[in-house]
Formats: sequence, structure tokens, C-alpha cells
Amino acid sequence: MKRMLSAWRLVLAVALLTIPGGSALAQTYPAKTIKIVVPFAPGGISDVLARVLGQKLNESWGQPVVIENRPGAGTTIAADFVVKSPPDGYTLYFIDITTHAINASLYRKLPYDSIRDFSPVMLVTSTPLMLVLHPSVPAKSVKELIALAKSKPGQLNIAHSGLGTITHLTGEMFKSTVGVDMVNIPYTGSAPATTAVLSGEAAMIFSTMPPAMTHTKAGKLRAMAVTTPKRVAAAPDVPTMIEAGVPGFESVLWNGILMPPKTPKGIIDKINSEMRRILQMPDVKERFFAQGGEISAGAPEQLAAHLKSEIEKWGKIIKASGARAD
Amino acid sequence: MAPMGENVKIAIRATKDFFSGLIFIFFGVLVVLVARNYPMGSAVSMGPGYFPTLLGGVLTLLGFIIAARALWVSGEEVKSLALRPLVFVLGANLAFAIMVRSLGLVLATLALVFVSSLGGWEFRLREVTVLALALMALSVGLFVHGLGLPFNVWPQ
Amino acid sequence: MTDLLNNLILGFSVALTPMNLLYCFIGASLGTLIGVLPGIGPIGTIAMLLPATFALPPVSALIMLAGIYYGAQYGGSTTAILVNLPGESSSVVTCLDGYAMARQGRAGPALAIAALGSLFAGCVGTLLIVLFGPPLAELALKFAAPEYTSLMILGLVCAAVLAHGSLINAFGMVILGLLLGLVGTDVYSGMARFTFGIWALNDGIGFVVVAMGLFGFAEIISSLEQKEKRELFTSKVAGLWPTRADLKASWGAIMRGTAVGSILGLVPGSGPIICSFASYTVEKRLAKEPGRFGKGAIEGVAGPESANNAAAQTTFIPMLTLGIPGTATMALMLGALMIHGIPPGPQVMTQHPELFWGLIASMWLGNLILVLLNLPLIGIWVRVLTIPYRFLYPAILLFSCVGIYSLSNNSLDVILAALFGLLGYLFIKLGCEPAPLLLGFILGPLMEQNLRRALLISRGDPTIFLTRAMSLAFLLLAALMLFLMIAPTVRRRREEVLHE
Repeated sequence: MKRMLSAWRLVLAVALLTIPGGSALAQTYPAKTIKIVVPFAPGGISDVLARVLGQKLNESWGQPVVIENRPGAGTTIAADFVVKSPPDGYTLYFIDITTHAINASLYRKLPYDSIRDFSPVMLVTSTPLMLVLHPSVPAKSVKELIALAKSKPGQLNIAHSGLGTITHLTGEMFKSTVGVDMVNIPYTGSAPATTAVLSGEAAMIFSTMPPAMTHTKAGKLRAMAVTTPKRVAAAPDVPTMIEAGVPGFESVLWNGILMPPKTPKGIIDKINSEMRRILQMPDVKERFFAQGGEISAGAPEQLAAHLKSEIEKWGKIIKASGARAD
Repeated sequence: MAPMGENVKIAIRATKDFFSGLIFIFFGVLVVLVARNYPMGSAVSMGPGYFPTLLGGVLTLLGFIIAARALWVSGEEVKSLALRPLVFVLGANLAFAIMVRSLGLVLATLALVFVSSLGGWEFRLREVTVLALALMALSVGLFVHGLGLPFNVWPQ
Repeated sequence: MTDLLNNLILGFSVALTPMNLLYCFIGASLGTLIGVLPGIGPIGTIAMLLPATFALPPVSALIMLAGIYYGAQYGGSTTAILVNLPGESSSVVTCLDGYAMARQGRAGPALAIAALGSLFAGCVGTLLIVLFGPPLAELALKFAAPEYTSLMILGLVCAAVLAHGSLINAFGMVILGLLLGLVGTDVYSGMARFTFGIWALNDGIGFVVVAMGLFGFAEIISSLEQKEKRELFTSKVAGLWPTRADLKASWGAIMRGTAVGSILGLVPGSGPIICSFASYTVEKRLAKEPGRFGKGAIEGVAGPESANNAAAQTTFIPMLTLGIPGTATMALMLGALMIHGIPPGPQVMTQHPELFWGLIASMWLGNLILVLLNLPLIGIWVRVLTIPYRFLYPAILLFSCVGIYSLSNNSLDVILAALFGLLGYLFIKLGCEPAPLLLGFILGPLMEQNLRRALLISRGDPTIFLTRAMSLAFLLLAALMLFLMIAPTVRRRREEVLHE
């Protein structure tokens, strides 16, 4: 009897020792290399942004920060990797709208659940898209464009950067909201897609800000509207889609940070506050602003809520458009 | 040409072209079979299955022509495959691939050097060990520290 | 004219500051190192160094990054010649004759000619940017889907010319390559083709994976096959410098290669890839003894290398002047420019002349630095080749595997490369050539995409390929090449038949 009691005491003691104290862990964190998983190939805007953040984090925390690019399969490979990573705070996942909100509905079955299997940390930036037109198209405003499209069903070409990309789905949302019939021309990436509009092969595209700004400033493309609810500081003369006559139209390209499931709240909060501090730095702000974006830098719950609403919204549009990836 | 009535044996000359033809036929048929589930579309509005099926068919045809011609035209014989280098060189790659993530760069390099050396002309243990150690040090120094590539150096 | 002179003076004054010279040197050296290491390409390095450049003024940052880019071209040729490993798609053709020359103890002349040809091409390319930058960029915009399709078809027909064996065999290889290139997600339907449920294959098989397997691994296996302990590279190195005969044979190739590369480098997307193949085809067609090609013809190195480097310069033109990135690396440079607060476009020349002209002057300087860097290295490389093969090949394997793995941090890529090694070895035994397959692999998917896009835009009208001038020109050229290739065979057959 006595031996059994002491055995139980031993088991209890060992059990108590092994329970990880969430806050205790956060105090000694960070103690080793932090990994930021980027689900794109090096060089894209999101990758560059992640590297900027990584470098700043390294400067402020003194721990090495490594960027791990795991592109492939529309970013699902990276997501799967993150889901299976230990929730010890050393794996961050830099995402954008496509990797999470869109993929959730685009792929019929994913090896993870986009909401439950990740711990949201922060919404980082939001950038609008801009509808740009080739100058030869006889429409000076969005209203005129809609009228033109209605008079010529199936004749106007709208370019996009690939099935399931934000440029594609925004186009689909536009077409279904105003009720026009335009032909989608897919390209592999935003650079070829924008080039196509420049050469006149396609009439228009909902482009990301940097190329849109470059070419409209040079007079090669006509800026029609931005897709955010409010006007963008980088292009103050361009109306929003809502102002231009398409009520309730909103499409924002956003970046965020996620972590593996069940990461302790202490660690999440620590990263969140540090990132917020970094994003307030003037040089970081300047670089992000150069992309035409706005810094969101909210609490983890903001990302969680945003993720949920985005998945719902784009889910409907994806279903309506019939787009799917296998 | 043999006179009528005699048994004409078509000798399958195992020439290089014959086997090339077979490989082409193999891939061509494989492609057509896999692609038969993809929607075809039409010539002016191609579906995902159109191009592969077309090409797979052409490849199969080319394969037949090459193989058939090999039966009549004399060509070079195939020399036998050297299995030892083949198995060990590719085996070394596979070992590296399997080991590098879970067991780390150092052990994967070790395995690669040893296995690939087994595929060489001779295997001198001392030499190979020195080479392995040198390459292990080099790979960690150059790839991990120098270029910052995200490798696990040691087993997780 | 004085305007141009003033700009050039401005450019050189920027490029020749000690700091910018240093960055140019660092970039070029780093680029060469990256290029020599198989698999690891300039994109990853540039991306990694990008945040580190934020502290630098934009010009210096760009100078260094640009240096990495064309330094990698030089480095890539080095491994192609020395060990038959094409790190970039542009080095594949250099493997054909360059490696053959190395096996004959002529690695030195091969490397030297590659460097010299590249220097010449780089100078011309830079000159072209200076003189004709904006109008040339406009030309790039004239390319639309029909032109691309026809250009791809021409390229594929030329691919068969690369082979020196049977023509029908070469076509088979091209088509096989085409089919391998189709593995992955279809752009139009979102459907994954030939991936057999493996997610990592959704984006297709990587070029580096195929090239390393088919060329590098297969070559190693094949070399180890020799029963005697023969050293792979003749230890009797026949001198480090090209002979007078070499130079005489090469200068025409260099000129032509430069022309081909300068023009094709402008074509967004595929230009820089096919320019080396195009140059090789041109040289082979024009040579008095085409049979020498593939066995160590120095023109086969001089032409493509010059074409590569010319394209590496002119590919900056659409990016700098119009903001259109032609390749993934250019897109990255574009990103770099934007992060530094300089949106590229026509206004760059006017609003930031010191950036534009400084970069251009630095590109010229960079080419010079690279040649000065690489020529002395030739002696070292040649000595490296004299290391006994049993030490060399595990090292080559290691570097290849690391390079391949680092592409996407995915072990599957290494396994695939091994499979291609098996395939490549079989092909060597069967006398099938890998180069046409590789070209088919690159061009095939592009051709299908553009074909479908052209038909989509023309709403199903196939005559669009014939009604557009450039497209028609390419198709006619392709038909001509085909005819030139088949005609001798047909004539020979007819003679054979007549003799019976």
C-alpha cells in the first residue's frame, strides 16, 4: 500500500513537471532561431515583405530569423508544413488572402482546416487592387465601362494572373455584381497579365498596386477605380469602386501572420506586440507604403474575424464562378 | 529476300533504336491512357486533355516507326547496363533525399559520400572517410553558414 | 549626341565611386559563386540579400544585385563546361560542346572563349540599351500570344536540329520533353495533369531537377561505367588559352551570338531561355562540318555564351524602361526597385538619371570585372579537374543534391532528379539525346498556353497565326528549317532506292 502511494506521488510529480506552463514558456522565448515560412517563391512582393519583417525581428530580438520558402501547389504545401510544426513559437507563417481565404474554397479537399488548424497572430497589411484599362477602350469611367460591356457581350477581354488569384476572383465578382459578360484570359502571374493589358491583348485587369501605379503614371494605362472602401493615399484622384457606381464592392489583398495550432497565447501576444512595434518604424512604413498598402497591425482576434469573413465571402464567389483547383 | 515457303524468322535485333522506340511507345501510351479522363474540348477550344492526347498519340506513332525500322535496318547493339554505378549513385541521392530533413545535413552528406563511393571503381575506406569528413565540413560551412540555406544540420 | 555623352559621363561618375565599385565586385563574385554551385540560382540569393540592401542607397543596391545576376551567368557556364551540369536553362547548350572540350583537355580554351565572348556581348548589349533602349522595349510589347506560339514552334523545330543523330529520334525526344513539361496544373482549367495525386507536382517538375538528372547524374553514372580506372579528364591539359585557330573560328560565332541574344533577350518570358539554343542552331547550320558539333566544336560554346550574355543585358531594357519584367529574376529586380522607392517606367530615365545611367555604366564595368575575375580562375578550375574522379564525383553529387533540395526544401525534387538520372543514363545507352528533350520541356507548356490563349482571344479563329506578320514569319522560318533538315535525308533515301 505504501509503495503504491509513493508510486502515485512519483507519477503525479512527473506529470506536474511536464505540463508546459504557457506563460513560463513565453518568458524564456525567444531562445533560438525563428523560422518564417513563406509560401511563395523568393522574389514576390509578399516574400520581400516577409524578409523585411524578418530582418527587423532579428535586429530587435537578437535571434537569427530564417526565411524558408516553400512554394508549391498553390501554397498548400507550406500550409501543411506549418500545421505539422510544433506550437513552440519558432514557426511563423506569412500568408496572404490567396493562401487562406481563397484556397479554403478553391480546393475541394485540403489536408487541413483553414480556421481551426492555425493560430492567428496578426493582420499585417492591406492593399487595394486597381482596375486599369488599356487607353484604346472607349470608357472614361466605370459606369461607361459597364455600359460598354453590356452593349458588347462576350467581346471584351479581362486579364487575370491565374485561376483562383485575387485578380481573377475580383473580376468574377465585378462581372456578377454588375451583370456583364466578359471573357477571362488567364496568365501565369501578374507580370505577364499586366503586360498583356499594356500591349492591348486584353482590355483591362484588376491589377495589384505597384504595376498599376507605374503604368498609369506613365500614361500607358487608364486608372478607373480602386477596390477598397476608401480612397488610397497613393492614388488620391482615383475613385473607389463604390464611388464609381458599384455599391458594396470591396476586394482587398491582405497579408497576415499565422502560427501552428495551439500555440500558447503568451507567445502569440509577444509576437503580435513586437510586430506592431516594427510596423510603426518609419523605414518599414515607407517601404510598405511604396507598395500602395496600408498597415493594419491589429490584435490576433482581428485576423481571426477577418479570415472567417473573407473565407465566407470568397467562397460564395468561387462557387458562382465555378473555379476550382484539384 | 528469302524465297517463298521457307520459314522466315524475323530476328529481333536488340538494337538501340528498338529500345528507344519501346520507351517512346511506353510513354506515349501512358500519356494517352492518363489523359483520357481529362476533358478534351475541340481543336479551337482545347480542353486540358487535347494537347497531351495528341502528343501522346504522335509519340506512340513515332515509337512504332522507330522500333519497326530497327527490325530491318541494322544498327548498334546496346551494351549492357552497368548496374553498380547506377544503383549506388542513384542510391546515394535517394539516401540524401530521405535523410536530409529528419537526420540533418551532416549525416545525409555522410551517407551520400559513402554510398556513391561504393559505386566507383574501387573503395578505399580511409580515403572515403577523409573525403566524407571534408565534404561534411564544407557543406555545413558553405551552405548553412555561408549562404544561409535553411538546412537542419543535426538530427531533430 | 552630347546628351548621350553627358549621360554616360554621369553614369560612369556614379559607377566608378569606390563604394559602387566595391558593390559591383561583391555582386559579381557572389554571382559567380552562385552560378558555379549547381541548382542554387541568382533568384534565391538576390531575394536573401534584398533586406540587407535597404541600408544602401538605391544605386548601390541595384548595382550589387545586377552583378549577382550576370555573375551567375558566368558561373553557370563554368559548371556546364567542367562537369556537364547546367545550373540555368541558358547553360544547357554550353554543356553540349563545352563539356566535350573539357573531356579533351580543352577546358581552358572553352572557359576563356566563353568569358571573352560574354564580354564582347555584354559590351554590345549595354551599348544597345544606351542607344536604343526605349524603342527596343516598345518592340517587346508587340509580342502577343500568336507571336509567342509561332516562336515556340520555331524553337521546337530548331530543337531537333540540336541533335546529331537520327532526326525522327530527336523529334521523339522533343515530344517526350513537351509531355514532361505538361505535368502540373493547367492554367485554363485549374486541373492538375499527370500529377498522380502528388501535391508537390502541382507546379510541374522543376527545370533544374530534370537538367541535373538528365545531364549531371547520367553523365556520372556513364563515366563510372568504364571498367578501367581511366581518369575522366585527360590529365594532359592542352594549354589554358584558345589557340589562334580557336579565335578565328569563334569570332564569327561571337558576333552572331551577340546579335541573336540581343534581340531575343527583349522578348519577355522566353527570350533569354531560347537565345542560346537559337545561337547553337545558327552555328550548326552555318558550319562547314556540322558533324563536329556535340564533339567539341568551339563555335558551339562561343555563340551560345555570347547570346546568353547579350540577352542578360537586353533583358533589363523592358524592365527598366517600361516596368515590364521579362523573367522571374527581372520581376525580383523590379520588386527591389519598388522597395527602394523607385517605380520603374519611362520616368526613371528622366527622374532618376543617376540611377539609370549609373546602373548601365556599372553593367559594363561588371562585365569587365567578371572577365578579370574569371580568367585567372580558369587555371584553378582546370587544376580542379585533375583531382582524381573518385573524389570529384561525390562532391559533384553532394553539391547537386544540396542545390536541388534548396529550390523548394522538398526531398521529392532530389528523388525526381535521381529518376531523371536513371532515364538519362538509359538515353545515353540508347543514343538518344537529352538536349532536345530539355528544350521541349521548357518550350512545350509555353507553346500550349499561348496557343490556347491565341485561340481564346481570336474566339476560335485559327487563321490568326497567319494573318499577323511576325507570327507568319516565324512559322515560315520553321517550315524552312524543317525542309532543310528533311531534304538531305529524303535525297539520301531516294538515292538508296535508286541503287537497288
